[in-house]
Amino acid sequence: MSNVIIETNKLTKTFGKKNVVDNVDLKVRQGEIYGFLGPNGAGKTTTIRMLLGLARPTKGSIHIFGKDIQQEKYSILKKVGSLVEYPSYYGHLNAYENLEAVRILLDAPKSKIDEVLSIVRLTKEAKRPVRGFSLGMKQRLGIATALLGNPELLILDEPTNGLDPSGIIEIRELIKSMPKEHGITIIISSHLLSEIDQMATQVGIISQGQMIFQDSLSKLRERSKSKIKLTVNRAESAWKTLLSHGYTTELMQKNLFINNDSDDQIAKIIKLLVQNDFSIYRAEEEKKSLEEIFLDLIGLEGGL
Amino acid sequence: MITRIMASEFLKIRRKMILFLIFLGPFGVIGLQAFNFGLRYDWLTKVHKDDLWGGLIGAVSMLSIPTLLMGVTIITSMIANIEHQTNAWKQLLALPISKKKVFTGKILLTVLLLFVSCLLLAVGTIVLGLLLKFGINIPLLYLIKMCFFPFLASMPLVALQIWLAITMKNQAVPLTIGIVGAILSLYSTNFPDWVPWKWPLLINDWGKPIYSVLVGLVTGLLLFFISVIDFNRKDVK
Repeated sequence: MSNVIIETNKLTKTFGKKNVVDNVDLKVRQGEIYGFLGPNGAGKTTTIRMLLGLARPTKGSIHIFGKDIQQEKYSILKKVGSLVEYPSYYGHLNAYENLEAVRILLDAPKSKIDEVLSIVRLTKEAKRPVRGFSLGMKQRLGIATALLGNPELLILDEPTNGLDPSGIIEIRELIKSMPKEHGITIIISSHLLSEIDQMATQVGIISQGQMIFQDSLSKLRERSKSKIKLTVNRAESAWKTLLSHGYTTELMQKNLFINNDSDDQIAKIIKLLVQNDFSIYRAEEEKKSLEEIFLDLIGLEGGL
Repeated sequence: MITRIMASEFLKIRRKMILFLIFLGPFGVIGLQAFNFGLRYDWLTKVHKDDLWGGLIGAVSMLSIPTLLMGVTIITSMIANIEHQTNAWKQLLALPISKKKVFTGKILLTVLLLFVSCLLLAVGTIVLGLLLKFGINIPLLYLIKMCFFPFLASMPLVALQIWLAITMKNQAVPLTIGIVGAILSLYSTNFPDWVPWKWPLLINDWGKPIYSVLVGLVTGLLLFFISVIDFNRKDVK
């Protein structure tokens, strides 16, 4: 299970003087859905273009399936399917012909076209010009194209960008089924954490070209510093009492918030409040949502 | 590999105007000359009475050379635009095919299509000459020369146009350069011999059309070579 599929080492891409991608060490293992997350302009697409050999790294190396992309680009790309940003298609051709144009190049069997059409549920629309497709259908066609070559690795850049909610759900279900049914490893980029949250097993967060977090989603959740929220009767005087004993707390909407640093300290604070005749209605742990953690992480690097 | 690329390229130009234009070019030229000769049949047969076929071929090539240069401009731009329209380059070039071969495929497609145009021009000229009752003593060698030499001599322009059309997303630039070039070549009789826009006219100081063809082929190949390297080196947008 722990076969490394993608590994980059100090991957850097410089445009002008700016490092758009700055020393990124990406690691994707077999069977993972790797969520590649970052705000717009963080360097996601540039990284993905380098993974696909569309752009050349300024510095650093990329190994996919254990092979160096500079040296064995074509043998790597044979096992990779991709969808980069907006779908590419030939509008004057129908869905079948669009797939055929790529199939010929890949030298895949003709039966593969019907197979991928049914995976993305476009069999009925196969003879319609793609120009008239909805964005969701075009995106599905893009995924069908990516699947033509029987890939072991799918690289999807913002596949749900610009789709309506039902389109997003469709694509999401499609992507989630891939590793299970076809044993494909997937790297998927997005600027929405909620999107990644519902699909990915691993996350990498990139901001201003730098990888600022890379681990499993549950590790990301653990990172959230929780606070203890106390609901007491006279909140303001409780706050003053605590302050006079040297405990700094936050007073917000008649609740006290204490940093969850040590259990010992929490116990002392509660004891102090009880001794001073405050009624404690609730003592609970407040966790930040993933979205907040994400914003905190990228906020450190420059803010919104 | 290159045969598969060509099969894919031919599939992609389906239902585009490209094939129509490949037919329209030569038939337009032949049609206009049919009109010309039909209208002034007595006068023109008197002028060319010693060499009826030569007169016809000369008249055809006078129209066909500017048409060819316009055709080069438009066809290369349309072929490049198939990929530009939805930025299909990123999809095409992420496939396990070399960028050099993809680019070579585009060049080959252009050259093949234009070759068909020239062939149709030759066939059309013969048909027109026969209809005009110029006899069956057709100067085939001269006909083939006048139909294909201008095309071979304009290879540098084919290379230039396809390079510009593929590297630039905005087709206004290659189209403008191509059209200005085509107009320029109409007046290029007095230009110095080194100007490539003069070469399709097959006129040079030595009075040997083959020189224009040879220099065109060599320069064209050189430009193709440079443009393939340039395309291969550039990042895909």
